[in-house]
Amino acid sequence: MDISQVLFYALSAMALGSAIMVVISRNPVHSVLWLIITFFAISGHYILMNAQFLGIVNLIVYAGAIMVLFLFVIMLMNLNAETEPQKNKWLKLAGVVAGGCLLLVLVAALKQAEVKGKVAMLETGDIGLIRNLGKALFTDFVVPFEISSILFLSAMVGAVVIGKK
Amino acid sequence: MLSDFFILMKQELVIMVIIFVLLLLKIGADMSNEKMMNLANGLLLLNLAAGFTGNQPGVLFNEMYVTNPLIVLEKNILNLGTLIISLQSFSWLKKHDHVPEFYVLLLCTLLGMFFMISSGNLILFYIGLELSSIPLATMANFDLAAKRSSEAAMKFIMSSAFASGLLLFGISLLYGATGTLTFSEMTALITGSPLHIFAFVLLLAGFAFKISVVPFHLWTADVYEGAPVAVTSWLSVVSKGSVLFVFVSVLYTVFKPIAGNWYNMLFLLSVVTILIGNLFAIRQNNIKRFLAFSSIAQIGFILVGITGSSQVSSASVVYFVLIYVFSNLAAFGVVALVSAVTGREQVSDYKGFYKTNPVLSWVLTIALFSLAGVPPTAGFFGKFFLLMAGAGKGNYIPITIAALNMILSFYYYLRIVKAVFMDANEQPIERLTIPAYSKLAMFICVAGILITGLAGFVYDYIYALSFGF
Repeated sequence: MDISQVLFYALSAMALGSAIMVVISRNPVHSVLWLIITFFAISGHYILMNAQFLGIVNLIVYAGAIMVLFLFVIMLMNLNAETEPQKNKWLKLAGVVAGGCLLLVLVAALKQAEVKGKVAMLETGDIGLIRNLGKALFTDFVVPFEISSILFLSAMVGAVVIGKK
Repeated sequence: MLSDFFILMKQELVIMVIIFVLLLLKIGADMSNEKMMNLANGLLLLNLAAGFTGNQPGVLFNEMYVTNPLIVLEKNILNLGTLIISLQSFSWLKKHDHVPEFYVLLLCTLLGMFFMISSGNLILFYIGLELSSIPLATMANFDLAAKRSSEAAMKFIMSSAFASGLLLFGISLLYGATGTLTFSEMTALITGSPLHIFAFVLLLAGFAFKISVVPFHLWTADVYEGAPVAVTSWLSVVSKGSVLFVFVSVLYTVFKPIAGNWYNMLFLLSVVTILIGNLFAIRQNNIKRFLAFSSIAQIGFILVGITGSSQVSSASVVYFVLIYVFSNLAAFGVVALVSAVTGREQVSDYKGFYKTNPVLSWVLTIALFSLAGVPPTAGFFGKFFLLMAGAGKGNYIPITIAALNMILSFYYYLRIVKAVFMDANEQPIERLTIPAYSKLAMFICVAGILITGLAGFVYDYIYALSFGF
């Protein structure tokens, strides 16, 4: 087991563990803090796959900006364990059964998965450098990239309309 | 190369130009609402006319963007629906403060649909889908003072975010399993292994949310009820139509290797959708909720047609969507006018409607007859072709259930017709003056309902462009 494999398993355990804590914590503020740890672990995964730029952007945008916003909103709304609505027993049971079925199907599907496509090059690859990412964005994916600007424009127009009343 | 780009992407480019013209006019010029709407309707008419000429089939940007005569036809159908909705919303929108913004958002969603239909790559498909659903949430909130309008927008954005999540999960599994995002390369790599089928199920769930197939329909009635009527009709006709077009082409090309699997899924979903849609439509008292459940039932019939997977089925789906544009928009046109002037939306409000508004009553009745599928109207031919396409596979049980459900649907469609013509009412809706734009829209719709079914060349033309296997 070389170092990248050890790192992979450690990061995966961290991501999964903190993701479970996000769901089961009673206090919403704790959930958000656990979510930040999940994002850190996922950024670690990006860096392991040589996607340095994505890793950093994920840290800055998600773990930094968006989660701080989340935290503010939750603190302003004054949510805590008492105000959280409690679901009844049968609903919980139904949730467990449905989630368990999904897990079973997912495990069964992934067990015999054969990955035929390209494999990310671990030590030699430089796919994650900003130069290569920019090249891909402005050649292969130029249409979706340009259209997303219209998506932002429409989101901005929409926000202004709703905000102005 | 550059001229290719302008010719092949013409329809999208025209819409982009209109978006920016309206946006700049909003910023720079101080126009009255009526002037602005005249201009917008004129531009939409130009857009519709421009869609019919100078189209060429082709591929752009490494198969990112695909266009062919069928795709052009589908875009023209959506353009027509947009124009009709814009004409109908005149009496509601003229009192509103944000007319240009409404058109900007409307055209942004239309642009998203166009890219979604033309996509040859999952990334472009996903961006198109998002572009066609995020601005819609704002549009659902366009009755800015009404609380239930914001509630509708909130429910819509939540459920569409959830659907997008499922869809993205499916896309990422598919990318992991095949290593490509291009549709044409993916077909050869899909073998029907459990992972491929699981990814397909997630994609199917995402699609089913957008066209409100039954286990995923829970947002439909609330959003339809809360949103302004123009947005409701946009959601139920144009938005659903565009997703249906993509759904058929993705199923028939990318997922062709696992046709045996999705046939069973769709067959089950279609039966459940028709049954639940019909049973809940019977109980509704609000006319917009009623039309929501009726549209769910209609989607069930379309799914029956899709299971046929022959050239006839894809032709009959496009044909049915064209008819559905006319018949549903005729019904929504009347509802929009009544709602904009009087604010009444209950089925019981329509009692005695014929005494005061005979013309509107006839338009509503013809639309409902077409939705139910009564023979001289186009709706009958649409449903007939869908069921025949489904029967092509020789599976007669779902066809029988669907046919029996058509009889069930007569009950609730005719309940409205009875209220309009026969029931007495002490306070009927007063006599409404129909604005010229609404008159034009209703004329187009009624003419479409009466002509499309009987003029055989419409179906022949669509059939010649369609594909199947």
